[in-house]
Parts: sequence; C-alpha cells; structure tokens
Amino acid sequence: MLTNYSEHYLPNGIRVLFMPTDKFKTISMALFLHQELNPDVAALNALLPATLEQGSRQYPDKLSLQRRLENLYGADLTADILKSGERHVIAFSCELAHDKYLGENGSLLEKGLSVLGSITGDPLLENGGFKKDYVKQEKNQLIKDIRAMLNDKATYAYERCMALMCDGERFGTYKLGRIEDYEAIDEAALYRHYCRLFSTNPLDLYLIGDLSEKEVLRAAGKAFNFSRRAEQGHLPPTDINRSVLEVRYHEEEMTVNQSKLVLGFRTYTAHGDARYCPLLVYNGILGAFPHSKLFMKVREEAGLAYYVHSRLERHKGLMVISAGINYNDYKEAREIIDRQLEDMVNGKISPAELDNTKRGLVNRLRSQQDSPNQLISAHLDGSIGGRTYSAEELIEGIEAVNRQEIRAVAEKIKLDTVYVLRPQEGGS
Amino acid sequence: MRENFRLIENRELHETLYHYRFWPGLDLYVLPRRDYQKKYAVFSTRFGSIDNRFRVEPEQEVTELPDGVAHFLEHKLFEDERGNVFDRFAALGASPNAFTSFNQTSYLFSCTASFEQSLDHLLNFVQEPYFTEKTVQKEQGIIGQEIKMYEDHPHWRVFFNLLAGLYQKHPVRNDIAGTAESIARITPDLLYRCYHTFYHPSNMAVFVVGDLDPEPVGRQVQENLAGREYGPMGEIVRLFPEEPADIYQAKTVQELIVSDPILFIGFKDNKVGKLQSRDLMRREILMELVLDILFGSSERLYNELYRNNLIDENFGAEYTAELNYGYAMIGGETGDPDQLYGRIMEAVEDLKKQGIRAEQFERHRRKILGGYIRRFNSLEFIANNFLAYRFKDAELFDLPSILQAVKREEALGVLEENLDPAYHALSLIAPPKEE
Repeated sequence: MLTNYSEHYLPNGIRVLFMPTDKFKTISMALFLHQELNPDVAALNALLPATLEQGSRQYPDKLSLQRRLENLYGADLTADILKSGERHVIAFSCELAHDKYLGENGSLLEKGLSVLGSITGDPLLENGGFKKDYVKQEKNQLIKDIRAMLNDKATYAYERCMALMCDGERFGTYKLGRIEDYEAIDEAALYRHYCRLFSTNPLDLYLIGDLSEKEVLRAAGKAFNFSRRAEQGHLPPTDINRSVLEVRYHEEEMTVNQSKLVLGFRTYTAHGDARYCPLLVYNGILGAFPHSKLFMKVREEAGLAYYVHSRLERHKGLMVISAGINYNDYKEAREIIDRQLEDMVNGKISPAELDNTKRGLVNRLRSQQDSPNQLISAHLDGSIGGRTYSAEELIEGIEAVNRQEIRAVAEKIKLDTVYVLRPQEGGS
Repeated sequence: MRENFRLIENRELHETLYHYRFWPGLDLYVLPRRDYQKKYAVFSTRFGSIDNRFRVEPEQEVTELPDGVAHFLEHKLFEDERGNVFDRFAALGASPNAFTSFNQTSYLFSCTASFEQSLDHLLNFVQEPYFTEKTVQKEQGIIGQEIKMYEDHPHWRVFFNLLAGLYQKHPVRNDIAGTAESIARITPDLLYRCYHTFYHPSNMAVFVVGDLDPEPVGRQVQENLAGREYGPMGEIVRLFPEEPADIYQAKTVQELIVSDPILFIGFKDNKVGKLQSRDLMRREILMELVLDILFGSSERLYNELYRNNLIDENFGAEYTAELNYGYAMIGGETGDPDQLYGRIMEAVEDLKKQGIRAEQFERHRRKILGGYIRRFNSLEFIANNFLAYRFKDAELFDLPSILQAVKREEALGVLEENLDPAYHALSLIAPPKEE
C-alpha cells in the first residue's frame, strides 16, 4: 500500500500536505516558498533563508535557537534554497524524533512547529529591517559558498556546463546568485523582499508522521498565523523549448589529475508531458543505472572511467552525461558515448535493457516511500512541474512505455553543450 | 546447521532483532520492519584496507599485501565467468552496491520485489570468486580513475593527509584504494589468497532488514551455506606494527585548487587499543559528547568562530574508535587557518579548566539520543552500522542504554586523556600561492 497526502488550507492560505503513518521513527516537517528563478533577485532569495535561520524574535541568536532544538532531542532544522527548473524554492525543514520513543507526552509536534513558525514567520527585526549583523555575516558566508563551488570538481564542471549552456536563460542562474549582487543588498531591502514573498507567494507545509489530522492542523494554524494576501502571484512556467543551432564546445584548464567531461542535452520534454515516462525509461537505459549502456560500455568494457552516468534536470527538460576520465582518452570516451546515443535512436535496445530499466525505475519509486524526505521531494516535484503524479501512476506509466515511445524521445534529444575540465598542458 | 539462535530486544526503539549462527560460523541478523517497501541486505567481511599483514593459525607464514587489495577485491567480485553481476540484480529490479572501509568490505542490495532471488544472488556472487589476469588488468584502469578522482578531492585529501600525519606505522595512514603503483602489483593469485582467508563464513556476517519473516530468511541462508562444503578455518591473526604514541608529522600541507584553505586538526587516541565491546562504545559516546560540547553549534565557540568568518556551517568534529586505533578530528574550510587553529587549541584547554556544566551535558545527551532514533528511519543506516559494531564486538542497540548511563565526570576524564596537545597534528589544504 502506498500512502498519499491529504490536502488542507490554513486560514492564511498556506497549503498543508499531511501524511499520517506510523512506520517512521520521526516527525518530519518542511515548508516551501515558491518563487520564480530570476538572475536579478537570486542573491536576495538565497540570503533570505540564511538570514532567517540566524535567529527570530523568540530565539534571537543561533545559540538560543540551537539550544532549544537540542532540548527537543536534537531536532534537525535546516534552511536552504533550491533550484528546480526555473523555480527558486526557499526551503525550511525540521525533523524530530517521535515522542513515543522518548517517553514524552506528545508535545514535540507542537514545539517543533512552533520553532519553524518562529523562524519563518516572526523574524528578528531592528530599525525596520533584519538585524544588520546577521545580514552582513550571511552575505559573507554566501559569497564564500559561491566561490566554494570550485572545491568539488565534478560539481564545478556540472555547474559550469549548465551556466554556459543556458546563458541568457533564467535556468543559467546559479542557485546562490552572483557575487557582485550581494554588495548592494541591505537589511531593509532584504526585509521588504521577505514581506513581499511571504505575503504573496505559494507556501506549502508538509507533515509526515504518526500524528492525527486534528492535532496537525491545530498546531500548524497556531505556528503559522501570520497574515498573507488572499490573491497569490502566478509563477511563469519553465522554458524548455530553446533550439540548438550548433553544438558548443568549452574547455577549461586547471591543476587537476582527472578530466571531467560534461555533456548537456535538450530533451524538449517537460515533467507534465505524455512523453515524461518514456523519457525516464530512455535515461535509465542510457545511463542512470549500473546496468545502463554508459556504465557497461565506458566503464565495464573499456575501463575508461570510474563514474559515468546520465541524469535528468527534469524540470528544465535537460539531460546531462558526466564522466571522470583521462584527458588522453577523451576521443575514445566520446566515441563510445556517441555510439550509445545512436543506438538509442536506432532502437538498439535489448529486451533485458528495457525490462531491467523499468524494474529499476519502479524499484526506485517504491523505495521513495520509505524516506520522509523523498516522499516530500517527490510531491514538491509535482508542484514545481505543474503535475502531481502518485507513485502508482508513475509506476503504471513506466510499465506501459514501449519502444516506439522511447525512439520518439531519442529522436528529439539534441546535444547542446560539451564542457571539459582538463589538466593543464604538460600535466597528466 | 544452525548452531545458535537468540532474540535481541530494544525497548527504546520498539525493535526485535533475530540472530542466527550457522556452521561454519556465519552470523545472520534479521530485523523485521513492518510497512517498509524496501528490503535491504548486506553481506560483510571483516577485511578492510588495514588488514595488510596476516597469517592463519596454525600456519606461520605471513602474507603481506600491497595497499588497496581489499578494495580491489570488492570491485572484482562483481565479475564472474558468466559476466557482470550488476545485470543479474538488474533483471530483478534490485539495486546492488558495495563499499570498502578501513575495517570491512560490504556487499549489499536493496529491492522492492523478488527478495528471495536477490538474496540468493548476493550470497552466491560473494561466495564465488573469479579473478583472471585480463579482468584484473582492466580493473586497474577503473580504479586508477577512482584514485585520480580522490586525488582531486580536497576534503578527501585533508582527511587522509591527517591520518598519515597522526600515524607513523599503522596502515590506517594509507589510502583505502591504494595508489596507482600499489594496485599495479595486484595479481589474481594474491586476490585468491586473500579471498580464501577473509571470505570464510566465520569472518563474515549478513544483515537483512525489511518487511519480512525471519524464519524463511534463516532457512535460505542456511541452505545456501550447506551446499558449499566449507571446512573449519584457523583463526586469522592480523599483524599490526607497534605504533609509537608520538605522531608522525605535526603539520602536512598540500596545495590544491580550492576557494579557501581547509584545516583539520587530529588528536591521536593512544588508549583505545586496549578497549573493546561496550567499553569501546562507551568511549565513543563520551567523546561524541565532549566534542559536541566543545565545538557544537549550540556553544559559544562555534558561534564566535562563525561570526568572525573563521568557519562555515560545515565545520565539525568527530571521533572514531576502532579496535587498534582511534582519533578525534576537528575542522573545515576557513579563511584563516592559523587563527582557527589557535582558537581550537585554546578552547580544548579552557574546557579542561572550566569543566562541563550539568545542564550542558544533559542537553547534548538529549541531542545524541534524538539523532540516534531519527537515523533508525534508514534501513541502510541500521544494517551497515550494526555490522560495523559487530566486527568490534559491540552492539548498535546498546547505544541508548550506554548513553543514559555515562557520567559527566567520565567525560572530563576522557577529555583530559584524549585531547592531549602532545599527540595532535594538522592537515592543511591550501590554494596554490600566486606567482
């Protein structure tokens, strides 16, 4: 049996998605504020959760906040900014151990929600803005985080490829924005941004755990009682239709041992399209599993890579192939990868590849049901993509995919950008 | 043949674990978890990267291994005469994987259908080695790329450089995957020799968790073993060099392309080798408490360092205790490694003078208890950690009761003994100097 959410609305328009289940040891809660991804306000968006997390009126500094969380048996509170398609989602979450394993009296739900409500809805203010010190400090931290993208070379290569490929599109915006935009932000402007977003943009609260609907709605209503405008803003959909005029090739040199190869493709298939399930199967056969073509051919047969895979940026209709290789093997690796892509177009897919991929995808979907975080992000995906699939729907959809549909997906996919991070000339 | 059976109850977590022992010495643990879609099984051997010198009783001949054999063997078990093991799991929709640590090698899968067949695949491929010159040679290319990937990874390098600075002789100072040179020395013969030593069932254990009945799993494992004609095996004697108390090198610096320096400080635990079982776990819990009280985000030091841009949110501290080595490790990315280093060393000495407050101790104890319970959502966490503790003769389920029992005075004792500035080392990753 797969469980689903029940949907409710608080008086101020916050949507509550509640899933009662006694299978977890935890109470999981998450709050998402949806916003358009836009290069000009990306830094503001990123700075917002970081600043709010520093303290609220009730818990005015990190010390008092963290001590409160520790007394709630180490409740794990996070504040983050997510980029998904051309949405920029401000995300808060709080995970608590459930009372029944602690000999507590059942008040952890209310106490946890109260902390989350305090941080998001009742911020610490001074002189009509956020606390100046916190804003300054978080600006420094975020600028540091943007620069730190460099440290993990695989992530860096991936982000560089996306930025180059989607230059001039909203998706080309890095999730933490541009370093140069931070300078101009002050505590008053950030507070105005907060007021506007929290009053007009869609806000979703998720709750999963061994809880009753009545107590959840009562505690949520009490914790999130700030006023919001009745009319809510409309968010534009993600553009997935950019055409490819010619394949772009970018190479960057760095003092590294291993080359990172990243290939960006456009699939022209959106999350809500009828071709969405065929795209999942296509990507699975090509490179999402250890039985996939890329892993088998590039790694297991040719021994050229340790990691090689394809993944979808499903809300932007992109597919990205990544591999870590010797620079000298670039040509050979590309040839093998290109041959796999051609085989996909020509329908050279064995019955085992097709069946195993479907089983693997179904296994992943069913496994999601065992993690509160994955249950939440799967539903969030639906909100972002404009179409919510239940696990059963996706499973049926995947099982029904046929070869013609996969081929139709394959024929539409276009390579757009090749990015190679390579060792400096004279290096290995 | 079933040699033993017992039930392990955990009242705090409302869990019941079934433990079987089958001839010739394989332990099987089954944890039923109602309503979970996923079933997870892990088959582990107590053979890690540090087990590089050994003999088997009663023989006197000692085998010495190049670095990286345990990890190499892990890769190579995924291939046999019939081809690639991944395909066999894929046909069932199961997801296989494996990992090698300093102390163990684990093979695993998760699935939401065809559990019985998947478990058979796991038991079979781990018990059926197939190594040839050709397949070994190909793997040298793949693992060569894995090593290169880690060479470029600053957080990985700062960790291994620190261990190499703390230890003079103990093999924990060497990378788990070895080096391009060391893996070039690996041959099929060498892999078979290690296989027939460390992959004997008496050196292994299986943990299975999910919505299932223990009895049929027990029968299946028992039958799988029965057909294999295992004989008894002598005790494996792992030979470790005498490790001096002193560290090897006070400061290790490596240049890599990073945005900011990364600083790790390590304290070598010279007492840990004498402890095992519950005592080892007790020390681990006490150290976790001490480090959280010193460096946790609810304490003054962390907040001051954060406000002064000396650390970011990823700053942290952790302690590791194994049967013959142990260390505490503190650090993260920083704009000013010298200043951060000074502040950390000062904080350690200050806490020794000031002591730990009762309120503080209780608060951190609560935090650790809650964190422990939360992790029990994850079947992977339970299975992997249960076996890791099992190989040091400790039991994951004992943690809450030990946590409740530890005392503030003990924590102070461990602090004095274990965070001793005489036995610390630094590891620094720095961006290249501008020319």
